[in-house]
Parts: sequence; structure tokens; C-alpha cells
Amino acid sequence: MFFVTYLRRELRRRMRQAVLIALGLALGVGMVVTVAAASAGVRKAQSGVLSTLYGVGTDVTVTGPAEAPPAPGTQSPKNGQTLQIGPRGPEICTNGKCVSAAGHTVDQLFPPLIEPIRASKVAAVARLHDVAAAAGAIALTDNSLTIPKNSGAPQGNSDSFTVDAVDTAHTALGPMAAATITSGHSFTAADADADVAVVDSGYAISSGMKTGSAITIRQVRFTVIGIATQPQGTSPPDVYIPLARGQAIASATKAGGSLAGDVTLIYVAAASAADVPMVQHEISRLLPGDTVSAASSLASEVTGSLADAAKLANDLGKWVSVLALIAAFAIASLLTMAAVARRSAEFGTLKSLGWRTQRIIAQVLGESVAVGIAGAAAGVGLGFAGAAIIAKVAPTLSAAVASQDSGLPQTTRNAADVPYHAVLVPLSPSITIGVIELAVILALAGGLLAGALGAWRIARLQPADALAAVA
Amino acid sequence: MYTLTGVTKLYYEGRQTVLAVTGVDLVIGDGEWLAIQGRTGGGKTTLLNLLGGLDRPTSGSIELDGTSLGTLPETRLTALRAQSIGVIFQTFNLIPTLSAAENVETALIPMRASQVARRAWTTAALDAVGLVDRANHLPCELSGGQQQRAAIARALVKNPKVVLADEPTGNLDEDTREDIIGLLERLWRERGLTLVLVTHDTAIARRAQRVGVMSKGRLTITKDTEHPPAG
Repeated sequence: MFFVTYLRRELRRRMRQAVLIALGLALGVGMVVTVAAASAGVRKAQSGVLSTLYGVGTDVTVTGPAEAPPAPGTQSPKNGQTLQIGPRGPEICTNGKCVSAAGHTVDQLFPPLIEPIRASKVAAVARLHDVAAAAGAIALTDNSLTIPKNSGAPQGNSDSFTVDAVDTAHTALGPMAAATITSGHSFTAADADADVAVVDSGYAISSGMKTGSAITIRQVRFTVIGIATQPQGTSPPDVYIPLARGQAIASATKAGGSLAGDVTLIYVAAASAADVPMVQHEISRLLPGDTVSAASSLASEVTGSLADAAKLANDLGKWVSVLALIAAFAIASLLTMAAVARRSAEFGTLKSLGWRTQRIIAQVLGESVAVGIAGAAAGVGLGFAGAAIIAKVAPTLSAAVASQDSGLPQTTRNAADVPYHAVLVPLSPSITIGVIELAVILALAGGLLAGALGAWRIARLQPADALAAVA
Repeated sequence: MYTLTGVTKLYYEGRQTVLAVTGVDLVIGDGEWLAIQGRTGGGKTTLLNLLGGLDRPTSGSIELDGTSLGTLPETRLTALRAQSIGVIFQTFNLIPTLSAAENVETALIPMRASQVARRAWTTAALDAVGLVDRANHLPCELSGGQQQRAAIARALVKNPKVVLADEPTGNLDEDTREDIIGLLERLWRERGLTLVLVTHDTAIARRAQRVGVMSKGRLTITKDTEHPPAG
């Protein structure tokens, strides 16, 4: 109790200096907390944007290598259907046999120009060490064209929408992971082979669809069982159907071919964030010809003011807060050492009374730690205030993200050909418990450093010299 | 009590060497009152610091009850000061943020006594110097004489073997000086202390049993009531 009494009285006597030191520490710590909160907000925004690229909970995506488009004159695959203009007008040709297209609807359902991956590989990936789950999917585009009966050239009605064929047993992984079902219900495992569909809310509104409506995909009638809404800023497909149905009705290319037993994407969840690099490596060994992408490689694809803000927070923000901390520590240390120098006679007296050096040092350290605690509390408060100010005044950030029409991660596409769209992302700085703990530790460290330097001075103090300063 | 043999203390100030104490041979007996006089810069305070273990001799030996202060490790020297040596300063040297009672208590902190015991001994020490009614006052609320009483209480609270007083009345007016010296003399007699007192004041010095004069670092005993000069 004597320790506390002496400490309290001493801090009260040097209140102005104690406040100055605490304020310096608070400013340094407050800067760290504010920058950390802004960085956390930017990271959250980034992860929100990134998660739209391949789904919440997905750590790694796998796609096949890009396929070269077929050379002109290449024979269509067996049962492949093509639309061409013949001498008698538009013709539909199948296996080399052509008929007039008048009055017909050409409905093509095909993936982007990449090599498919055998579905059996999905199970092989799922069995890898450190893989929590794996799910296959096919990103498709449905193009339909209805040729009028009386015409010389195809000027009929056309329609195009995007379709994702998803693994109904793993909807928590992949394109439906972040979706909220706003009407009806999502797929169940029992729907694996059913002609059922979930429609995106935006497409449902534009098409006048609701739960129970019908949608024709590749001339197959699907019943809409649910309406899904994806988070703002995403570019979801228009329709989701079960993977097995997509494999059955889609063709491998526009010209034909089969996707039976194939997928075009594998979504992988790692057991933990730390396992992602190893998982990426293992999948690359298992599927050497395929493209294996993780969030870190996709993050660099996101441009716009969000990316700039991330850079600002990580680079400039980090260094500014480091400098502020160094300045705060330096001020605290210098003021503490000056105070110790002014109290030389007092410490010399205590030594003459038989106080051990360690006891005197403990007293000075206690004073410094008390000031550090005050600095920590004030610093956290300043940090919250700084984060609130940033949330209020910071402009909405934008991220340029590749459109999801092909459902492919950007790394598999030719960048020049990829259409980008801007996603507006509000910046919400967030202060976590970890940041508060860091702030407290930093302030205490500053106080301890200042106290340690003062203690070093005390340890070197000879009683006779200290007392001579008074005489 | 004390045996000093050929004690010398040198200080180095830049290029200059200061011979503060030179070749002092001295024996101070138990319960003796030795006064040391001399001009400023004569080495009085240095000698007192050496006796108190606050400094170490450059050469020679200082023994306190057979223990060599010059060679004792710092921790043991500190413990010796805590238990056996009380120091009174000219400028009182009270901790400004602590009350009179708390200042007295600082001398008991190294003893690791319980708070109850410390408070009891503190009250007794303040009572002995007539300062109980001002126990809770800060030094800035006490007069010079009261502050020196508190400092005397602090020096005596642990029942030391020896009390070293460096100009205890130097900052006091004449009347207060008399009170303080009277108090010290009374306590010396009552407790059988060994008292070494440095003073400029000849009148005060004469009250001691032995008087020594420090001049240019050398000590000369000029009065010895226990061992009067022959004839």
C-alpha cells in the first residue's frame, strides 16, 4: 500500500508531465488503432469484393486451361448443332445434315472456352490433406434464337442468360454460398437430378418470374423453386440448376459435344487459412495442367479506389503510425529520464535509508506503467474517435471487378477481353479486440521503456553523488 | 564501533584530482558523540559519507563493528544502512509528496515490517521528537524545525547503532537550532547512540565529547573529553 500511496502522490505532483506523457502515448496508440481499424475495414471490403469473385468460404478455385477456338472449317462434334446461312436461308446443321431453320428455335447452352475437368477430380481434391470440402460447378451461358417462319435472314427473337450448374450437396461452397433465399427454398441433395432452378432476384424481376414459374433451358422446362439474392456489388448468374442436369443438357462448346461427367470449376475450402498455400500446392500437383487460384492472386486483380485505399492503409498508414509511436516513446522516455534526474536527491536519500536499487526502480516503473495505462485508455478512445471520423467522412470506395458472365476467376481470362464493372464499397473501419489488446500492449511498452530508461539512470546513481546535488 | 585506518578519498573532476580525505586514522567508540568541524570543502561531508557507506574510500579501510565498509558488496552495504545507520541531512531531504509520518515510515520499508508494526514505530518516533500532532502534514506544511524533527524521527525510528548528522541545524534559525541540538543530545543520552555530527557552529561542537577539525582532507582531534590531554 505504501507503494501505491507513494506512486499516486508522485503522479499527482507531476500531473502536468504525467498528462503530457500519457497524451503522447495516446496519440501514438490512437494513430495505430485508427490505421488498424481503417486497414481492417479495407480488408473487410476487399474480402467482400473478393468473395463475390468465387463465393464466400472458397479459398481456392480450379479451372481448366483455356481452349483455343476451333479453326474455320473444323468439323462439329458428334450431335453438335450449328446455325449457318445456306443458299435457302438460315439452316440448322446436325452431324452434317442441314434443314431450314425457319420457325425453329436454336437454343445453345455452353460453357466458356476452357477445357473441362473430369468430375472425378473433385472427389480427389476433396480427399487431399487440409481440404475441408470441394465442390464442382459449371458456368454456362444459354443463348436462344427463334427464327421467324417467313424471313430471308435470321432476325428472330434472341435471348441470353447465364446459368450456373451447382453441386446441390455443397451449396455452402461456390456461387450460392453468399446467396440469401428470399422466396421459396434452395436446392437440397435430393434435387440433384431434378429439373428445378433457383433464379437470381434481379433476373426474376426483369423476367417477371416467381417461385413456381417455369424457365426453359436448352429446351428443358425447369420449375423455379426459389429466388436468391446475392450481396450488393456481386455479379451473380441469372439461374442456378443442379450440376447433374447441367452436365446432361449443356454442350461442351457452342458447336456441340458433351459435358457428361465434367465440370468447369472446382471450389475448394481449406481446413484453415494457414493451409491455403499448401492446398494450392497439392492441387497443382494433382491437376498439373489446370489453373489453381487463391484469394491472394485474385486480390491483385481488383483495382480502383478500394485497392488504392488498401495500399494507403498498408503502406503509408503503417509507417505514419510507426513514426507516431516512435515519437511518443521518445517523448515519454525523455520526460521520464528528466524527472528521474530532478529526483536524484530523493533517490539518493532513499538509498541512504537502505532502500535497494530494485525497490526504487520498481517505484519508478510503477509510475511509468500507471501513465502507460492512462495512455492506453486514452489511445483506444482516440482510436475509436478516429475510426468514427473515417467512417463519417471517407468517400465510398470503388472496386473494379471483372464481370461474372463467364463465372471464371479473372486469372483464367485474357485481361484485355474481360469486361470490368465498378462495385461501390462503403468503408467501415472496425476495431477488433485484437487491436485494442495491441493498443494496450503498445502503451504499456512505451511506459515500460520510459521507466526502464529512468531505472537505468537510477541504477547508476551513487548515493553520495545524488546527495551532493542538494548540498 | 568505527575504526578508520589511513582512509583516503580522491575525486576526479575532469583533469583535476581532488583529495577530499587524506590519511584519516580514527576510532569512534560505542555511544560516543564526535563533532567534526571545518571550513567548506575541508572534507567533512565526504568523511560522513564514508562512515555511512554512501561512498567507498579510494584507499585505507573503514570498519564498522569489524565489518569492512569499503569491500562489502553493495546489497549488504545497503542492508547495513537500512538496519544500523541513521542519516540526518542539512536540507532535511524529506520526500515532498509524503506526510511526516510517511517520511518516517520510508526508513522502515527496507525492514519489511508489517504495516501495523511500521505505523506503531512511526508514531513512537514522532512522539519522541514531539511531532505526533503534525504527523499527517506534508513537509511544505511544516516549519524548518518541524521538518528537521521529522528527519530525526526518520533516522531514529529503526533504532540504529549510529546516527550521522550533516549540519542538522545549518538551515535553521538560532532558537530552532538550540531546540534541535537539545533534542539530539537528549536522544543520544537516552538511547546510547553513537553520534557523528558535522557542524560549522563551534558552540554546538563543544557540546560533543570529542571534536575533530577537517582541513584540506586531514582530521585533527582538538578536543577529547574522554581522553583529556596530559597535564
